Amino acid sequence: MKIKSNLKEISNKNQIPVGPFHPLLEEAEYFNLTVDGETVVDIDMDTGWMHRGHEFISEQKSFTQSIYLVERICGICSTSHPLAFVHALEDVGNIEIPLRARYIRTLVGELERIHSHLLWVGLAGHFIGYDTVWMWAWKYREPVLQMFEIISGNRNHYGMMRVGGVGKDVDPASIPELNKILDTLVKKMNMIAKIVNDDPVLRSRLIGVGVLTKKDAIDYCAVGPTSRASGVRGDVRKDEPIDAYDLVDFDEIITKNGDVYDKFVVRVLETIESIKICRQCLNKLKEIKGPFFNNVKEISAGEGIGRYEAPRGEVFHYVRTDGTNRVVRHKVRAPSFNNIPTFQASCKGIPIADALITLAGVDPCYCCTERAIRVSDKHNKNKKIDLLKLSRDKTLYIRRNA
Amino acid sequence: MADYHEFIEKMGSKIKVEIRKKRRLYFQVKNEDILEVVDYLFNKMECRLSTATATETYHGIEALYHFSDDNTGNYYCPRVVMKDKENPEMNSITPMIQGAEWIEREMAEWWGIKFIGHPRPIPLLSRNHPEDLNKPMRCRR
Repeated sequence: MKIKSNLKEISNKNQIPVGPFHPLLEEAEYFNLTVDGETVVDIDMDTGWMHRGHEFISEQKSFTQSIYLVERICGICSTSHPLAFVHALEDVGNIEIPLRARYIRTLVGELERIHSHLLWVGLAGHFIGYDTVWMWAWKYREPVLQMFEIISGNRNHYGMMRVGGVGKDVDPASIPELNKILDTLVKKMNMIAKIVNDDPVLRSRLIGVGVLTKKDAIDYCAVGPTSRASGVRGDVRKDEPIDAYDLVDFDEIITKNGDVYDKFVVRVLETIESIKICRQCLNKLKEIKGPFFNNVKEISAGEGIGRYEAPRGEVFHYVRTDGTNRVVRHKVRAPSFNNIPTFQASCKGIPIADALITLAGVDPCYCCTERAIRVSDKHNKNKKIDLLKLSRDKTLYIRRNA
Repeated sequence: MADYHEFIEKMGSKIKVEIRKKRRLYFQVKNEDILEVVDYLFNKMECRLSTATATETYHGIEALYHFSDDNTGNYYCPRVVMKDKENPEMNSITPMIQGAEWIEREMAEWWGIKFIGHPRPIPLLSRNHPEDLNKPMRCRR
């Protein structure tokens, strides 16, 4: 009887592989969901498919070369990594940077947060069948990329950061145009915030889905919007306010439920706060004159920690220097490294239809490659399950029956 | 600095301060004391484990943990030096801090450190790799 019971248990559980290449993942990563009927009972993660050896390569490069290297760790966070890296080197040498550079760094960092959060809002909308939100969010992201082009000449990989300041100044003549773009953007963000707050279907679809409790967020050492949505305070911009963060006024957005809806709310409200910060920076850049770069001749031997609040959470860089022009040890820790293991807590016990949006809820990186998955049912017959379709069907069901 | 003072006083001879500067405290800890120090940082001071860095030096293999006190912006960095380069091993902090699982698995895989008491000591990045990578970050210079 016991054997029969065990067999029944085994036959009722199916494995659903997600990845390593899947539209929800920017970088290749493999998730193996164990499901019992419609419920996810376990999740296993396998990473390392896209390992590029940045730490090792960085140790062969000069400081300035490494800035360009770390800028390419992530296409979305291409300010956060170089900024954390130069913070680490400035921590070794106790280097001060000019006031104008502090505001420029803050401006570029916040613009990055706006475009990254808008990217996530769009994708989250797509995953749950709100394609209008997807198209709107990505439409309003476009002017932010134009702002980057005005400031740095590039829409991505801005090449702005240097040890001792920034590589390019913001042209005062461009500030009215930048402010005008922000005027349009804030109206659109308020509209998206209203949708998130008012739409009953969206609320029904996301409230209570993929809950990460406060205790789990602390135990897994989660960072960024993932932990703040669970009621854990912690924002590098407030905790260690370097650059101009101690000179601008903004709120740290914290909610308490830890579900995907709260993660949505945190990101939307953070975008509005970021626009507020950008305005303050632009206004100050009109007034402040002076250099935007201190020429740093050498970095002494020592150890330094640099960090920055990237859109997904704290980016951490540790460097050890020996007095030459390169690091002897460079450690990089991106926020997703801490946030992805939280799936162990947030995915267990949820329906398969919610798995996709829960996995996307921490904003791991995305790419455009889709991979079909095959599942064997208890009769050993292969059946094709499309997680995206399941997720969108659930929204449709709520919409029709609300 | 006041926070550092209290921490240093509380830990006494269990830690040996190496670098003390604004918002950063680096100190050495013996392997037998690491769990007690980490317990104080994580459970009493409510610090968050940011990550850990392994390094190979002339003295041995180092594991440097980075704990962030998010209320003050201070970083506490306990360093364990394993002098036996052939078989470096130290106590795992994963049973105490779930968030250390990936961090220690990565260090074990790249640097060959054996974490005693780790609940899931399997490679993080090369689980399905066709070849044994054999401590790829060691002996590079």
